[in-house]
Amino acid sequence: MDGKTAPQMRHFNPYSDNGGTILAIAGQDFAVIAGDTRQTVGYEIQTRYAPKVFRLNDKAVLAVNGFAADGNMFVKKVKQKLEMYRHAHAKDMPLRAIARLIQTMLYAQRFFPYYVYNILGGIEEDGSGAVYSFDPVGSYERESCRAAGAAQSLVQPFLDNQIYFKNQQPIPGGPPHPVHLPLSRVIALVTDSFTSATERHIEVGDELEMFIVLSRSHPQQSLDPRLNATEVSTTASGEKVFVIRRPLKRD
Amino acid sequence: MDHFPTNWGRPRNDLNDAYNTYPLHQRPYNGPKDTFADGVQRTQQPIVTGTSVLAIKYKDGVMMAADTLASYGSLARFKDIQRLHPVGSHTVLGAGGDMSDFQYIQTSLDTLLIEEEITQNDGHSLGPSEIHEYLKFLMYGRRSKFDPLWNSIIVGGVKDGRSFLGYVDLLGVTYEAKTLATGYGAYIAQPLLRDAVEEREGQENSITEEEARKILETSMRVLFYRDARSLNKYQVATITAAGISISESQHLSTEWSFAEGIRGYGAQTQ
Amino acid sequence: MFLTRSEYDRGVNTFSPEGRLFQVEYAIEAIKLGSTAVGVKTYEGVVLGVEKRVQSPLLESSSIEKIMEIDRHLGCAMSGLTADARTIVDHARTTSQNHEFTYNENIKVESVTQAVCDLALRFGESVHDEDAMMSRPFGVALLIAGIDENGPQLFHTDPSGTFMRYEAKAIGSGSEAAQAELQDRWKKDMSLNDAQVLAVRILKQVMEEKLDQHNVQLAQVTKAGGFEILNEAALQEVIQRM
Repeated sequence: MDGKTAPQMRHFNPYSDNGGTILAIAGQDFAVIAGDTRQTVGYEIQTRYAPKVFRLNDKAVLAVNGFAADGNMFVKKVKQKLEMYRHAHAKDMPLRAIARLIQTMLYAQRFFPYYVYNILGGIEEDGSGAVYSFDPVGSYERESCRAAGAAQSLVQPFLDNQIYFKNQQPIPGGPPHPVHLPLSRVIALVTDSFTSATERHIEVGDELEMFIVLSRSHPQQSLDPRLNATEVSTTASGEKVFVIRRPLKRD
Repeated sequence: MDHFPTNWGRPRNDLNDAYNTYPLHQRPYNGPKDTFADGVQRTQQPIVTGTSVLAIKYKDGVMMAADTLASYGSLARFKDIQRLHPVGSHTVLGAGGDMSDFQYIQTSLDTLLIEEEITQNDGHSLGPSEIHEYLKFLMYGRRSKFDPLWNSIIVGGVKDGRSFLGYVDLLGVTYEAKTLATGYGAYIAQPLLRDAVEEREGQENSITEEEARKILETSMRVLFYRDARSLNKYQVATITAAGISISESQHLSTEWSFAEGIRGYGAQTQ
Repeated sequence: MFLTRSEYDRGVNTFSPEGRLFQVEYAIEAIKLGSTAVGVKTYEGVVLGVEKRVQSPLLESSSIEKIMEIDRHLGCAMSGLTADARTIVDHARTTSQNHEFTYNENIKVESVTQAVCDLALRFGESVHDEDAMMSRPFGVALLIAGIDENGPQLFHTDPSGTFMRYEAKAIGSGSEAAQAELQDRWKKDMSLNDAQVLAVRILKQVMEEKLDQHNVQLAQVTKAGGFEILNEAALQEVIQRM
């Protein structure tokens, strides 16, 4: 077609899609929040290490996916508000308050949205593991698990099957499907989700960054040393936060 | 990011002036008109553009290269434009995209540094990561006003024994890496740069200055062969603990004799 | 008082050479003219009690409002220029609702107290770019009672914007005698019922008129019931228990 007569975009497009995938799963007394670290635009890998998952405080971890410039700016503003809240109210903001705050911040930009899919994971005040997922303009709900980003369509059906036991019949006369999975099982599912997404999606890969938040009621307050996790929590008495990093394929 | 600055900030579409031949402020357009679009004039496309910038971290710091061409569409308009710009004594910027926007950024950063020096004068100075953060806010702020600075910029430098290499573009997108390339270089040169770095995985920062210079020269030559908006004159900046040095423009040697024997391109079939 | 008056009590934001803000001090004086209010904290909740001055037999005593709800978990009693308290309570209510909207949780008692006190010093000439401010300090003191994750709490605020937390506190014209009495009678393990009786008994001691269910008002904040003003029957029951 002749480019001179075809309609063309006159206006500047302030968004781009920087690929990558994020994922969070809530257990009974823990939460796992993960993302790959590849940043892309089109077919180009911009960098192999651009974090998308951020520790907000000792009970909340936020994963952001979509347009990287908006994502980084959004996280920066959330962290600022959390700091102001700490000064005003002399406590860390509880998880459900952070969830509501994120909604109000996203909706405030309703007519020039942050092009970002947020997943918030952590521990509620009652000690339970929780995951909140958001759309770019602030609709949110609490769930047990959620995947977002480039490989959402690959990962979410897998989680539906493995976490919610969709399309699985319990063995007749056998035990029913468990409501909550143990931490070791969840870590395995997250790792497999990302290796699989890396195989099938060009925008996913390079490295997996996985945060684990343990409630004070979790029977173990440390992780299996074979997992090679680094503790990043700030107090000894509160919830424990760990990071696990794993290489993913770089092709 | 597309290698034609004209296409930056636009949806991917190969139908629009696929070969970037129109440098005109108003490209040929016969579609429906938006009555109000001319009310405010913002940068809607770059006019005089620079092409790729390459950069690599090495043993002593950061090395950066860019050719000296500023194009006007497909016309090689200005052949001695410097696209590497020192900011303070620890940082160098290299820019592709609109050269007038880049010169505005140079001026505003120079003003910022002078103001910092005069008003603070506290012995602290802005390093590469601070400059990069500041540029991120500048670029993201302008894109949020729908009035972008049409550039992709590499910020490199060394301060307090740490080398820094970061990228920022007209959308406010940022990232850091051991090797960076903008524009056409992102496709052609970045794989070469990564090869050079990744084959030393585990023993990072073992690349010497000579090796870094060699890698950049090779990449610049490949770019000159393949990028129609490039020039065989380029400059190299090195930023180390000792300071900044930006070379005089140097000539790329090229070999074209093989072209004699090539058959089968275009109209020439015999 | 009037003998010590100096040139430094005109401007609301002018310090005297001794470093005093007379207008603020006068405002605090205004509270000493107000009706008495007491607050008593227990482990079960907080009790607020106020005296209503019924100046005329034709006055409908139920129209005197000296205890107000801020939120379901917060209330306050006031003494001084009660009209000023409307501005403050309005601000407190807005702050509380905003907090609930933005954070999906009840605001803490201390936070809402802080918000009220931030307002207290917004008097004087307004600086350019700022919202128009008030011309003088508030002439009212509050006892803010509430329950949050730190349990029942009682705060006292005054026109200087200072706030402090108390186990039991009295303000207004009878506050000196009442505070002394609270100091003698308040016990850490007293029940909410004990606190109700204590509040009414102290009011009775400092009031000029004879106390009945029409010239006092009682309110409480508990975990289960939140903020509630005691109705006439409940009030009568407390008076009888006394």
